[in-house]
Amino acid sequence: MSERIRILFVDDEERILRSLALQFRREYEVLTESDPRRALERLKSETVHVLVSDQRMPGMTGAELLAAAQQIAPQTLRILLTGYSDLDAAVAALNNGGIFRYLTKPWDAQEMAFTLRQAGELALRQVPATAAMLESPVPAETALKLLLLDDDPQTLAVVAEFCVTGGHRLLRAANLTEALQFLNHESIDLLVSDLNLAGENTVPLLKTLARLHPRLLSLVVTPFQDTQALLKLINEAQIFRYLPKPIRKGLFDKGLQAAAAQAVLLRSQSAAQVQRLPVAPRDEPERERVGSLLGMLGRLRERLSA
Amino acid sequence: MNTAPALAQLLRAVQPLPVNTSISEVAECFLQAVHSSFLSLPLVDEDGRPAGLVSRYALQNIFMQRFGRDLWGNKPVSEVMNPQPLLVCLDTSLEEAARQITAQLQSPIRDDFMLIDAQGRYCGLGTVLDVLKAMESRVGQRNRVLRQALVDLKESQVQLVQSEKMASLGQMVAGVAHELNTPLGYVTNNVQLLRELSLPLLQLATAQAELADCLADPSCDEPRLAAALDSAATSRAQAAPELLAEDLQQLFADTGYGLGQIAELVVGLKDFARLDRAMSEQVDLNDCIRSALLIARNNLKDKAEVLQQLGELPAIACAPSQINQVLLNLLNNAAQAIDGFGRIQVKTWAEADYVLISIEDSGRGMSAEVQKRIFDPFFTTKPVGEGTGLGLSISFKIIQDHGGTIRVASVLGRGTRFVLRLPRRQADQLKRSA
Repeated sequence: MSERIRILFVDDEERILRSLALQFRREYEVLTESDPRRALERLKSETVHVLVSDQRMPGMTGAELLAAAQQIAPQTLRILLTGYSDLDAAVAALNNGGIFRYLTKPWDAQEMAFTLRQAGELALRQVPATAAMLESPVPAETALKLLLLDDDPQTLAVVAEFCVTGGHRLLRAANLTEALQFLNHESIDLLVSDLNLAGENTVPLLKTLARLHPRLLSLVVTPFQDTQALLKLINEAQIFRYLPKPIRKGLFDKGLQAAAAQAVLLRSQSAAQVQRLPVAPRDEPERERVGSLLGMLGRLRERLSA
Repeated sequence: MNTAPALAQLLRAVQPLPVNTSISEVAECFLQAVHSSFLSLPLVDEDGRPAGLVSRYALQNIFMQRFGRDLWGNKPVSEVMNPQPLLVCLDTSLEEAARQITAQLQSPIRDDFMLIDAQGRYCGLGTVLDVLKAMESRVGQRNRVLRQALVDLKESQVQLVQSEKMASLGQMVAGVAHELNTPLGYVTNNVQLLRELSLPLLQLATAQAELADCLADPSCDEPRLAAALDSAATSRAQAAPELLAEDLQQLFADTGYGLGQIAELVVGLKDFARLDRAMSEQVDLNDCIRSALLIARNNLKDKAEVLQQLGELPAIACAPSQINQVLLNLLNNAAQAIDGFGRIQVKTWAEADYVLISIEDSGRGMSAEVQKRIFDPFFTTKPVGEGTGLGLSISFKIIQDHGGTIRVASVLGRGTRFVLRLPRRQADQLKRSA
């Protein structure tokens, strides 16, 4: 019999923990902690496949907990479960905590069950990667290809410097058609994109790539501050970083470095290991758009399945 | 502002006289109708530059003397002119011209003034009366503008106070809505769980009823009884009612508690945001504090531990919804002043004539300069876009309108303490605050 999946729920409200434990104790080994510090202690000594945390807790926010958890147990899948739509928390949970999903309270029982099933599935496939591996500098000979979908000179400046220093190749697309061409004909590792490119919405493309090309890491730079949009980008496009404009160079650069390290790690892993499992877009027109983009990226699909 | 045309409009094109004109000739000039409104006539040199002004007053003085005309009539006017007349350049602003004129004005007014161009040449004559009229009309215009500005300012102040109110109300509603999500989360999930858990119990009840029917039926044969027994046993094993009992009780207890929490929040919101701004006679300020703490809970719980030391208070007359607004403002400020996790202490006590509330945080504290300005409208230490800078100035006004005081003591790095002091009895009718 396969390994039983262990899920740790952290919430300062005991009743939330009891309710979740009762819902999932038959399928999983359920652990609960109402104190985030004790949860971190536990992660140090026990194997946990999936960590689900509340955001607002006395003493430590969920985003802080998840960021610390990523250092202690990077192979654990991290999920934020919060009743607050708080952009800063969502950005911190994604950028520092590398969350797999952002779920809101009150949660839908079926959706929660589905998410945990997916998380458990991915967790079992993951090769334990240590934090040290993720932080080690990218070997000098690893040249990556970065596709930039943003005409903002500030973004370009930082990305260009990153590519020159790291010896990476920078490709720039002025519109979605060009972007699709690059994606079909070049093997892109990193994507830096605004949500708007020459008047076109890039979100469906990001969502398409999350399903099609799990090794590609997307960094979103945007002047828009919308928690709902970010939530969808996390769950449906599984973006790697979300950086509000105006760009802060230090933060952006750190994100690019981390993405490069992750991309190198993903290269060394099998297709099964790098799988991502994004949520299908809820919005019907967007789902259709993703479908048609999947068609337009036929060449990329062929290359990846080869 | 280009005011050059202002003086040009006042210019009177009076033909200047040469300086050697005789006094008699000048007197004739004064008698001409076109010159009747002037106090003086201009004199220029050969180059057309102002040489002086001769005033009607000076000539009158001469002619009033005995034999004045005979003695002085043929003398050149230069002997009695004012050789240093007031010269005003045409491109001078009206205000500056008025200032220069006033500085040289004598009583009685004897002279007009000469308008000159940039090269110092005579252009025309100006009268003090014209300047006065022009100034008056300008002042009137300014007054109208100022009055309009005042009206606009009052309107925008009302709008600002309103938007601050809406902002804090919005913040509060969003906070409570979020706060509802926690109990709503587990209540919703528990109801779903209860439904799932009740299914095997219903099955068990059906199976046992079937078995009872079998036992009561004398015609029931062995195989049917065996099947009924078997079905009842299986259902029982599946439902495991002994194990379930504890879970069910817990689920019902938690669900009940959650619904209580939801009800408490909704009632709290209703109490807090009473739409009437009216005065109420019998208000226990401790109730206001409890209500504000409930509403602010979502902003406080991850920022600070709240310690309450609520003393017994006499009921006072106040507008509770306004006091609530002040308390919420102070509590939210306290939470925002805290880095990491801190402590907020809320105390109430009564003195002979006053009821006091103290709200103290263990936050960053404020410098003396900041403390001096916190009640000023639009002063804020928060980043642009957060906070209107009106919260404390409105709080100050509300407490002032209640005949009370609001005081602050703060130490950098240690924290801040606000003390509200409200009179037990309102001296007079509560002023309606914004």
